[in-house]
Amino acid sequence: MSFITPVFFWAGAALISIPLIIHFLNRRRFKLVQWAAMEYLLQALRKNRRRIKFEQILLLTTRCLILALLGLALARPLGCSESSLANLMGSKSGLHVFVIDNSYSMAYEADRQGARTHFDQAKLLVKQQIEKLVAGGESVAIIAAARPKLGEDGAPQSQLVFRSSFNLDGARSAVDGIEQSYNGTDIAGALQLAAAVAKEEQKQPQKFLYILTDCTRSAWENNQGDQLKQIGRELAGQFGSRVRINDLSKPGQWNYGVLDIKPDGSLVTTNFHTDFLADIKGFGAGGETLVQWQWDNTPLEGGTTLKPDTGTQLQRQTKVDTTKAGGGPHVMTVSLTGDEKLKIDNTRSRVFEVAAELKVLIIEGERGTSLLSGSGAFLDLALAPKKEITPQGKVRSDSYVAPEVISDLELGNKVLNDYRAVILSNVASLSPAQADQVQKFVEAGGTFMTFMGEQVNPDQYNALLLPRKLLPGKLVARKTTPDPKGFTLDFKPNAPLHPVLNIFRGEENSGLDTAPIYTYYQVEVAPDAKAEVVLNFVAGDKETNDPAITIHPMGRGRVVMVATTANGEWNNLPPKPAYVALIHELLAGTVDVGDKWMNLTVGQPMEIPAGLKLTGPPVLTDPLKKPIPVDAIQPKSGSMFYRSKPLEKPGVYLLNTGSSVIPIAVNVPADEADIRALPPDSIRKALGDIEMQFFGDNVPAYALSRDDSNDLGWSVMAIVLALVAAECFMAMTFGHYRRSSVRRVQPAMPAA
Amino acid sequence: MSTIEHPTNYRKYLDPKTLARIASLDLRARLIVEGLMTGMHRSPYQGISVEFAQHRPYVQGDDIRHIDWKVYGKTDKIYLKQYLEETNLHLICIVDASESMGYGSVGDKDAIWTKYDHATAIAASMSYMAIQQQDSVGLAIFDNELKRFFKPSNSPGQWKIITHELCLIPRLKKTNTGRILDQLAEKLNHRSLVVLLSDFFDDIESIKKGLRHLRYKKHEVMAFQILDPLEIEFPFEDVTLFKGLEEMGELLTEPRALRDGYLEQLRLATERLKKLCRGMHVDFTRMNTADALDVSLSGFLATRAASIK
Repeated sequence: MSFITPVFFWAGAALISIPLIIHFLNRRRFKLVQWAAMEYLLQALRKNRRRIKFEQILLLTTRCLILALLGLALARPLGCSESSLANLMGSKSGLHVFVIDNSYSMAYEADRQGARTHFDQAKLLVKQQIEKLVAGGESVAIIAAARPKLGEDGAPQSQLVFRSSFNLDGARSAVDGIEQSYNGTDIAGALQLAAAVAKEEQKQPQKFLYILTDCTRSAWENNQGDQLKQIGRELAGQFGSRVRINDLSKPGQWNYGVLDIKPDGSLVTTNFHTDFLADIKGFGAGGETLVQWQWDNTPLEGGTTLKPDTGTQLQRQTKVDTTKAGGGPHVMTVSLTGDEKLKIDNTRSRVFEVAAELKVLIIEGERGTSLLSGSGAFLDLALAPKKEITPQGKVRSDSYVAPEVISDLELGNKVLNDYRAVILSNVASLSPAQADQVQKFVEAGGTFMTFMGEQVNPDQYNALLLPRKLLPGKLVARKTTPDPKGFTLDFKPNAPLHPVLNIFRGEENSGLDTAPIYTYYQVEVAPDAKAEVVLNFVAGDKETNDPAITIHPMGRGRVVMVATTANGEWNNLPPKPAYVALIHELLAGTVDVGDKWMNLTVGQPMEIPAGLKLTGPPVLTDPLKKPIPVDAIQPKSGSMFYRSKPLEKPGVYLLNTGSSVIPIAVNVPADEADIRALPPDSIRKALGDIEMQFFGDNVPAYALSRDDSNDLGWSVMAIVLALVAAECFMAMTFGHYRRSSVRRVQPAMPAA
Repeated sequence: MSTIEHPTNYRKYLDPKTLARIASLDLRARLIVEGLMTGMHRSPYQGISVEFAQHRPYVQGDDIRHIDWKVYGKTDKIYLKQYLEETNLHLICIVDASESMGYGSVGDKDAIWTKYDHATAIAASMSYMAIQQQDSVGLAIFDNELKRFFKPSNSPGQWKIITHELCLIPRLKKTNTGRILDQLAEKLNHRSLVVLLSDFFDDIESIKKGLRHLRYKKHEVMAFQILDPLEIEFPFEDVTLFKGLEEMGELLTEPRALRDGYLEQLRLATERLKKLCRGMHVDFTRMNTADALDVSLSGFLATRAASIK
């Protein structure tokens, strides 16, 4: 037996001594009376000694019992088996925490009676169980397990939809109020919240956790393994063995989903034809499905029928001619048509910013150089190889990149927001104002590339660029080797490569691994820079761990640093066939083509970038043409921008800027598509092998009957009241409360 | 300015609380008797004497047995014959002066009216009345032995002696009523009216013996059991240590639990005593020291008159 407030039990046990103490104190505190009729008194005592003793013991016992039971009642004992008589009188108590998985996988149409989807069934089960709870004794907390929505301030809202309360009607209403989310599952967050709720409710020793989920792999088998184990231990600490999971999945349930759409390359431009790829996966054994493509709502040819599985099956679409599509945002939509039960992820749209040209500003640091002698000129040629010179003397190129080479002295005259990327090549230093300008440019989404050279002043770089996070780390030393073979790059064509080097995968003759590098700046990468090392330098056969190329994020943009020169001054890279491709890939892999803000996941707000030209207040409408509020946000530092509230439903939204309409694609998270149910052992293992019970998709038997959580407090209190009444009756009967009609007189002592 | 004189209200002197404040026993007795006589229509003394005193006109309610028919025959008027009490009545007051008689709860802290006070007041009053009628009055005071005995006498100084003795007797010993009654029965040669004043907290069998002896000697016996109101009601509530008088030991108890039992024992003892007296034609009266004395005495006189007739 356990108690809700055990301290009262011990207090009651201690209170037992009070009647005994009073009894003995009374015997010590007596009145002295000289008495003449002693014989009658002694006779009365002789005749009634047993009765009086019995009455006294009975009364004393009753009084002790009253106090002990009063303590017991206030301690609110719990216990009694279901069949015991006391159980009939017991009232339940305890905390019941319901975690309802409302992620989009729960929208699976199982077509149960009265519940179309898993989610409907989960709500039904929770309400049925709440109806079985006892008002006033049992409290309920309800947690939604889908990834939390973002609030107005962009911070995630709590998943706790109903704070622990004895208001069972309110709890039922809260269950009704939970909406089917189009987001993924955050089972770790929800369970952590459940543990926190239980921890707050210290007064309720009996705590129950009910998890109503479809037990999908996507929810339980992700990268949160250790975190789930840690949470499992917390749950075991708070709930003990009272963790109950209702597995709502249907045997053999399956799902197909379009998980991604991407171009077959880094950029979609009007200069080249681009193929598009759709990542379609199948989870579970289903039938065939028809893949359909749409470009700006126009169906495309090339629809295929397939039976997807968990392997990567990239579907290629070759019919879009981007050279004729014109620059600007375009929407590609891929949808699946079949007899699926979960349709939410069957359609995915993506907005592509088809770039007519990519403007890049190259800042040449070496002054007074002739054509092709400066490193900036090498970059210019690499990014936009010259094709011909027009009769007007203009150089023409097929490249989608439009580089512009300027001297570092001209930097102050340029508006950086007109460019997608800014490249410093062998620049000695920037002024603080220029550094600030570049910092803002990157934070707003631009790409900043730095190439080293003779002109570079490392102290100035460390003093100006490093604090503004425009360098991945401190420039420690300049390293030069007299060896004619020089340093090399640790490029291994068949080893795992950084994504920007993907096009070199398997290329044995790219030259990246053989080009000698004679001089470079050693960079001590800062731990907080989050820098990705693309390539390191190798000294002979020895790894140096000195990064040659790094990429790190800053704000919404990215910073690329190359530790050597862009021309052949410090290395022999430019003659290599991979040089042009490497520069292109570094640019394409890091430049923000400007369509990220147009491709959102459910739950994210839309933020209009500062550079977007607006001729009127922006108006956002959802797929059903319903307007969505867009607020002007003025941050404490920086310029004003517009942000919508989080977009909760998938589809293509439209943003009217006054002069143009921009599509905004909102998709469900791809990682929720795997709805294959995990067996109980796997879930138990995921939670660190804690003790838990598994039930099906019906109300379990335990919820339909009273269980071992009976609170016998009121029953004991009733016994206490009965004992009090009995005590009064006995005391009256035994003459203890009878008052004499004769006034009390202090008898006289006999005169001597 | 004139003043109005109010007649003295003698009844107030019959209240034990008032009497308790009066130290002199003879004064107490006078007040009791005067208070008793005031306002009476008929003298309780008349009718119990044999010597003619006077005639008086008949009034409604008078006993027709006392009508003087001869006078009626001569004068045609109805007169009653009135007699003076004969002086051959011997009144013996036997007063229990044991330790238990010293118990009392009536009155104030400074002037407590004990059972012994009550007994002596009755004895003195009766003696006073008897001497007023030229009867002989004797006195016996006892505890476990006969402390004082005064043979009956109708001399005017007898009453003074009696009241003086009643005031002096200390009360420290146990009682032995039966043996004392035996002794007195032997001492009393003349048929007497014996008034026994005691709480009778004694062996009933020994009392029985003593009374039987007195009755055997043809004495008229009146027994007055004098009890304190606390002894009758037993109203104690808190835990009390009862310290017994007359070497009866101590008892620490919760009186509420014993009350019924005690009252039952007292009732049984009183019943036995009453039954015993009734069987031997002894008048038995239980007196509460909280009650006014006139009630007790007039009750006694009425009973007495009825028995003589």
